[in-house]
Amino acid sequence: MKLYSLSVLHKGASKANLLKAAYDLSSFSFFQRSSVQEFMTFTSSLIVERSSHGSRASVKEQEYLCHVYVRNDSLSAVVIADNEYPSRVCFTLLDKVLDEFSKQVDRIDWPSGSPTTINYTALDGYLAKYQNPREADAMSKVQAELDETKIILVSSVNYMI
Amino acid sequence: MSSSALKTMAESEEEVDVLVQRVVKDINNALKKNPNIDEIGLIPCPEARYNRSPIVLVENKLGVESWCIKFLLPYVHNKLLLYRQRKLWLGKDALIDITCTLLLLNPDFTTAWNVRKELIQSGALSPEKDLYLGKLALTKFPKSPETWIHRRWVLQSLIQECCPSKACKERSGAVAVTAAQTERLQRILQEEMKACSEAAGRYPSNYNAWSHRIWVIQNLAKDNKKVFLDELSSMKYWVSMHVSDHSGFHYRQFLLKSLVEDPGCVLDKTASALQSTSNEHCASLPKEEASAEIQRTVVPDLFNEELELCTDLIESYPGHETLWCHRRYVFFLWHHWNHKQGSPLNSRDRQLDNSSSATTGGKSAQAMDVDGMMDPNKQVYTQETKRLKRGPLQGCQGLPTEHRFITKTLTDCRSTEQARFANAYQKWLDSVLGQ
Repeated sequence: MKLYSLSVLHKGASKANLLKAAYDLSSFSFFQRSSVQEFMTFTSSLIVERSSHGSRASVKEQEYLCHVYVRNDSLSAVVIADNEYPSRVCFTLLDKVLDEFSKQVDRIDWPSGSPTTINYTALDGYLAKYQNPREADAMSKVQAELDETKIILVSSVNYMI
Repeated sequence: MSSSALKTMAESEEEVDVLVQRVVKDINNALKKNPNIDEIGLIPCPEARYNRSPIVLVENKLGVESWCIKFLLPYVHNKLLLYRQRKLWLGKDALIDITCTLLLLNPDFTTAWNVRKELIQSGALSPEKDLYLGKLALTKFPKSPETWIHRRWVLQSLIQECCPSKACKERSGAVAVTAAQTERLQRILQEEMKACSEAAGRYPSNYNAWSHRIWVIQNLAKDNKKVFLDELSSMKYWVSMHVSDHSGFHYRQFLLKSLVEDPGCVLDKTASALQSTSNEHCASLPKEEASAEIQRTVVPDLFNEELELCTDLIESYPGHETLWCHRRYVFFLWHHWNHKQGSPLNSRDRQLDNSSSATTGGKSAQAMDVDGMMDPNKQVYTQETKRLKRGPLQGCQGLPTEHRFITKTLTDCRSTEQARFANAYQKWLDSVLGQ
C-alpha cells in the first residue's frame, strides 16, 4: 500500500504547468528511480491536460493508479499510488492539498510558476504522513464525504482524449 | 566509445577477454572494498563511455551498465561450463569471482550455485558470504527460485554443523560450543526473516519468499513456539500495509495453525507474555494438564486476535478478496478446533457464551471475572472459576458473530466488490459449515 508521487499543477489552455511535486521512490530499485520519477512527472502532466475542469478521476497506468482532481479554477493535483491504496483517502488528500495551496500561493503565480519559484513546502510531509492511510485520516470521516459515482474510472491514459 | 569502435573491439576475441576480465575484477573488488553493498541493479546504458568501467558504485548500491552484459554474460557462462566439463582448470579465487559475477546477472543458473556448494564443502567459501551473495541477487531478482533453493541447502548444512547429534549436546564439554552455535543460528534466523521481508516487499505475493520463510521457521525454530508468536505479532503491521498479498496472509495461517496444533509447553523458559498469565498455576500441574490448560487459555486468544485483525482490515479496506479468504481460513480453523475441544465443559461453555452474548453481550461474565481477579485469596480452581476466568470471546464467538458481521458489512459498505465478497462468505458459511 504505497504512495509514490504527489504533484500540484495548473491546467493551462493547452498545457499543464507543474508547480510543486514530492516523490517517494524508496521502494524502487536505486538505479531505476530517476527514470521512474520522469515517468511520474510526465504522466501527472498528461493526465491533467486530458482531464476536464471540475472532474475527479482514477487512471490506471501500468501497475499504478493515478488519482487526479482538476478544480474549476484550473488548480489541479495528482497522486500516484499502487492498487492497494484506498482511493477515497487519495481524494481526501488531493482536496486538502489544493485547499491549502490555494490559500498559501497567490493565484497570479499559478499559470507561470515552477517548483523553484513556488513557495509551498507541505507536499513532502503529506506524502510521508499519508503512506499509512489509517494514521493519516479517520476512515469513517472519509467514507462519509465523497460521492463515488462522480469519480471517473479510466483504464489507461491512452483512452483519455 | 562509438558503436562501430565497440564492434571492432568485439570482433577481436582477445580484446573481449581483456575487457570482461577487467569487469569481473571490478565487480569483485567493489564487493571486497565495500562490505555494506546492499543492492544490485542494471543501469540502462546502450553505449560505453570511453575507457570507463561499466561498474558503478553509489551509496552502497552496485550498478552494472547494460552495454557490457552481452559481452560479460556469455564469457563467464562459457568459462564456468568449460570448468565443469574439465576442459579448463580454475582456482578457488577465480571460481568465487566468476560464480559471483554470473549469479548477480543470472541467479537462476543452477550450475553456478552448485560450484559454490562444492566451494563451501571444501572450506574455500564461508556459508555466510554465500548467503550474502544470495541476498544481493534477491534485490534484483526477488523471486529467483534457484536462489531460494540454494539458500536452503546452505542453511541445512549450517544447521547440521551447529547441531551435529543429540549425543554431542549431552557431553558436558560440548555445552559451551552449543551455546555459541545457538547464538549463530539465532542470528541466521533473524537474517533470513529480513531477507524474506525484503524480497516480499519487492514483488507482490512473492510465493517463493514466503515459502522460504515458512521453511526457515520450521527448520530453525522448530520447537521454539515463542518465535511463532513473535512472528505473528511482528507481521501484523506488514500485512496491514499489504492487504492483497495473499502469501503474507498464508504465512499467518501457517503460524496460527502451528500454534493451535501445538502451542508448546509453557514451562519452557522462553515463554512469552501471552503465556505468562497461565504460568503460575501451570507450573504446578503435570505436563499433559499444563498443555491442555494452554489449549484452553492461549489458543482462544490467538483466534480472537486474528479475527479482530481481519475484521479491522476488512472494514478499513473494502474490496480485498485476500482478507475474506483469510477470514474463511481462520474461522474454519477455529470451528475445527472448537469441535475437537468437545468436552462436557466446553459444550456448556459454548452454550453459555452464545446465550449470554445474545442477551447481555457477555457483560455478566465479565463482571464476575473482575470480582475473581480482585480476590487474590480465591485460588480455588473449580470448573466455574475456570470458565468465567476465560471471559467472553470477543472475536471468535462462532456463527452468530459471523452472521452479524456479514449483515453489518452489507449494510455499511459502498463497494460492490465488498458486497460480493460478503455474500460469497455467507454462502460459504451456509454450505461448508452446513448451518
